Amino acid sequence: MKAARGEVLQGTLDLIVLKTLDALGPLHGYGIAQRIQQVSEDLLKLNQGTLYPALLRLEQRGWISSRWGVSDNNRKAKYYSLTRSGRKQLASEAESWERMAGIIARLLGAEGA
Amino acid sequence: MTRMRMFGSRLLGFFRKRRNDENLDAEMRWHLHLLAEENIRRGMPPQEARYAARREFGGVEQAKEAYRERRGLPFLDTLWQDLRFATRIMAKKPGFTAIAITTLAVGIGANTAIFSVVHSVLLLALPYPDSDRLTVVWSTFSSEGRGPASGPELIYLRERSRLFEEFGGIWAQSGAITGEGEPEHVRLGLVTSNFLSMLATKPQVGRFFLPEEQGTYAAKSVILSDPLWRQRFGANRQLIGQSIRLNGHPVTVVGVLPPDFKIIFPEGSSVPPDMDAFIPFPSNLAKDPSDQCYIRVIGRLRKGVTIPQAQAELESIGAQLRSEFPVFAEQALGLQVVPLHGDVVRNVRPALLTLFGGVSLVLLIACANVANLLLSRANERQKEITLRAAVGAARGRVIRQLLTESVLLSCLGGAAALLLGSWAMKPLLSLRPAGIASLVATAFSLPVFGFTLGLSIAAGILFGLAPALGTTSLNLVECLKEGGRATRPGRQRPRKLLIAGEVALGFVLLVGAGLLMQTFVSLLRVNPGFNSQHVMTVRLSVSGVKYQTHESAILFFRELQKKLAASNGIESVGVISHLPFDDTLPNWYSYYWAEGAPKTEQNTVMADYRSILPGYFQSLGAQWVAGRDFDAIDVQEDRPIVIVDDTLAARTWPGGSAIGKGLNIEDGNFRQDATRVTMEVVGVVKHIQSHSLTDQVRGQIYMLYPRAARAHMALTVRSNMDAQSLVGLIRRKVASLDKDMPVYGILPMDDYLEKARRPARFTSSLAVVMAAIAVLLACTGIYGVASYSVLQRTSEIGVRMALGARPGEIFAMIIRQSLLPVLTGVFAGLILSLALTPLLSGLLFGVRPVDPVTIGTAGVLLFGVGMLACYLPARRATRLDPIAALRYE
Repeated sequence: MKAARGEVLQGTLDLIVLKTLDALGPLHGYGIAQRIQQVSEDLLKLNQGTLYPALLRLEQRGWISSRWGVSDNNRKAKYYSLTRSGRKQLASEAESWERMAGIIARLLGAEGA
Repeated sequence: MTRMRMFGSRLLGFFRKRRNDENLDAEMRWHLHLLAEENIRRGMPPQEARYAARREFGGVEQAKEAYRERRGLPFLDTLWQDLRFATRIMAKKPGFTAIAITTLAVGIGANTAIFSVVHSVLLLALPYPDSDRLTVVWSTFSSEGRGPASGPELIYLRERSRLFEEFGGIWAQSGAITGEGEPEHVRLGLVTSNFLSMLATKPQVGRFFLPEEQGTYAAKSVILSDPLWRQRFGANRQLIGQSIRLNGHPVTVVGVLPPDFKIIFPEGSSVPPDMDAFIPFPSNLAKDPSDQCYIRVIGRLRKGVTIPQAQAELESIGAQLRSEFPVFAEQALGLQVVPLHGDVVRNVRPALLTLFGGVSLVLLIACANVANLLLSRANERQKEITLRAAVGAARGRVIRQLLTESVLLSCLGGAAALLLGSWAMKPLLSLRPAGIASLVATAFSLPVFGFTLGLSIAAGILFGLAPALGTTSLNLVECLKEGGRATRPGRQRPRKLLIAGEVALGFVLLVGAGLLMQTFVSLLRVNPGFNSQHVMTVRLSVSGVKYQTHESAILFFRELQKKLAASNGIESVGVISHLPFDDTLPNWYSYYWAEGAPKTEQNTVMADYRSILPGYFQSLGAQWVAGRDFDAIDVQEDRPIVIVDDTLAARTWPGGSAIGKGLNIEDGNFRQDATRVTMEVVGVVKHIQSHSLTDQVRGQIYMLYPRAARAHMALTVRSNMDAQSLVGLIRRKVASLDKDMPVYGILPMDDYLEKARRPARFTSSLAVVMAAIAVLLACTGIYGVASYSVLQRTSEIGVRMALGARPGEIFAMIIRQSLLPVLTGVFAGLILSLALTPLLSGLLFGVRPVDPVTIGTAGVLLFGVGMLACYLPARRATRLDPIAALRYE
């Protein structure tokens, strides 16, 4: 179990957060963290605290925006949502990620063959 | 764009620190809460659920720190933190802080004050449109330096030049405005029609001259300066188009110049800055006699043309002039173009740069002093810094904090310097030489603030760096072992080096100031050829309708002289066309030669021509060399005789007597038919310095007034009356003869001399102030180091005394060790000054740049000051109680 849990690759956290917000709409920090754990089926090791500096960075770049709202159980919570330029960024990052993954896959495939 | 947004967000984060912290805290707490709840739902006991949540979340504080680092501006955060710490440290040691700030304020303030002069005089452009393309065009002659041009020359230049956009010319004269109200003397500029438009964009009211207004003999239009328009005509806009009386003739006011308009011309060009009125040249310049040179020419270069290109063109035009006009070939006429600004500041640039160099030395000394203070503080702060290093502070971080402290210190010094500088501005301005009076800014400007700020930061880093590096290069273990009672002699080394450096720089300043002082003293001792004490001068204009004939003017002067001489308290009264050291009038100078001189010796040497009436030499107390003075009969009979000065006599008739010889001179009344006449020399008088105290610029020829009638004349009155009642008396006597005669330019002869000494007074007094500051700083520096070393060595001294050292030995030891760096500094300063003082030679008079007496005095003075500074600490050392000293640790 322990061996299978991978560290979050540098730079991939951005993509993951953007994709999560794209898929689920506005979310608070806890929601994003839960979603990441859920999708990765707990295979991805994420110190949930590191999410917050990442969220700030994305917000500073203008890719996500945040506002204070009220959660399901009536508590003040900060909601993050994707901006238009964030959507563009997501598309271009996803594309380059897929290209990279394709290259790696081909490389590994060729070696395996 | 993204970067801008990022910076904006960070800047916001920097200022909203607390609110953001609270928000982040709430966000994270809630996150943890939700995680824990989830765990409870999965069946964990509450306590364990919370622990698990913490594990999943990771380090809360690390996350917060990472968040904060992204959020604000870490650079500013650190700076803010360091600044707060620095303020606390400084507040804790108010004495140290006050001394450091005062020292820096003096150093930086001196620089601020001098820089504000340098900036306004040397760096700022002249207040004219396209001023960087404005040039002065001088005519040069074989034997003489540069001079004005003649009318045909100017016209020729205009026709031939391709690289100049235009040429303009001016001739400063004087006139009188009569009619309604008091008669008023005006400084009148005769100008080409384009001259004013070259120096100003547009008139305040009305228009500039039209080309057809030039050369119409009787001047018909006039343009007034703003002050004259305000003072005499009450700033009446209706004046445009109206007629006023100038020199008795009606002229139409066509325009008024802008309020800040000034004519800024090089010194010696006889064009004063504050002209009252302008009229177009009345004569047709092209038809002027080609040997009457009186027009001061300015030219505006075309865009992109350089001075060397323009000079090359003017040289070829000069060659054409020489081939077309025989008189120019005879005089070997040449043309020279120089930038207007460069020419205006030509005389003051060396002095200003010298002073600027001097104040930077003062600042270096101040920095060395503060560095020394910081070094002794650093020793005290070793414990604190060692502790920081021990708990993991990086060396760079500690250096940064120490540098923040020193830069803060010097910025406070800079702020105090601005106060000090603005206070020092007034005496500084009162000393400025006349040549740059119109350029010097009277208030600080933005660039000056910028300079002070930049200088403060640079100084802070300069004096802070060495102590910061020194303190942080400590060996931790060593320091902790010693427990802060460091008495390592090696640590004294940088401080002694600083002292030696200070003393060396102070030595250079002392020598420089000494040389400039001696220059000023030599100038005071110069015998100008006359005795200026008790001589009052006033100017009178005998022009206009009333004085169209010479006889009427002579009558006026004779009566005035008679009336004044008869008054009690007046010794003698003279009349002259050009007062010594008065450069507001165009100088009158021309060629002369001995009667019968061969053609090759004609048109080679020039002399100053002066028009006088009997009594002038007596009133000035001039010294007779040979022959006789003019008398009333000479005037009455209109005799063709002259008096010359001794330099002219010796040059023209070497070894022989000048008396009775014939001298070929220019006709004083500029008659078109006979431009040259021969007159007999009847007297030789000692040269009267009239342009410079240091050079006998030209020989002098004195003609009698009727043979050289001038509209502008001056009265020289020797008396033992006080100035006020004397001036009142003169005014009354003048008015009794002619109520329309303006009396102006009332100035004791002493003032003219003072003006001539002013540049030397300016540089020497500033240099002395600088040297005094330097010596004071060096003195405090030496004292500081000596007393600190006594303090540090208290226990050692105690041991020595306990072992039987006598107080005298202790005293000698302290003195010896404290004076060693002083001696080193004096020696280094000696070498440095031998290298540097020759740079001053252009500013010196009556003393050589390498002057053993000055150097010796400086050395003795500094050594004495050093002795004085060590005396108290050394005496303190001898009075230590051995028991107390041993317990000192």
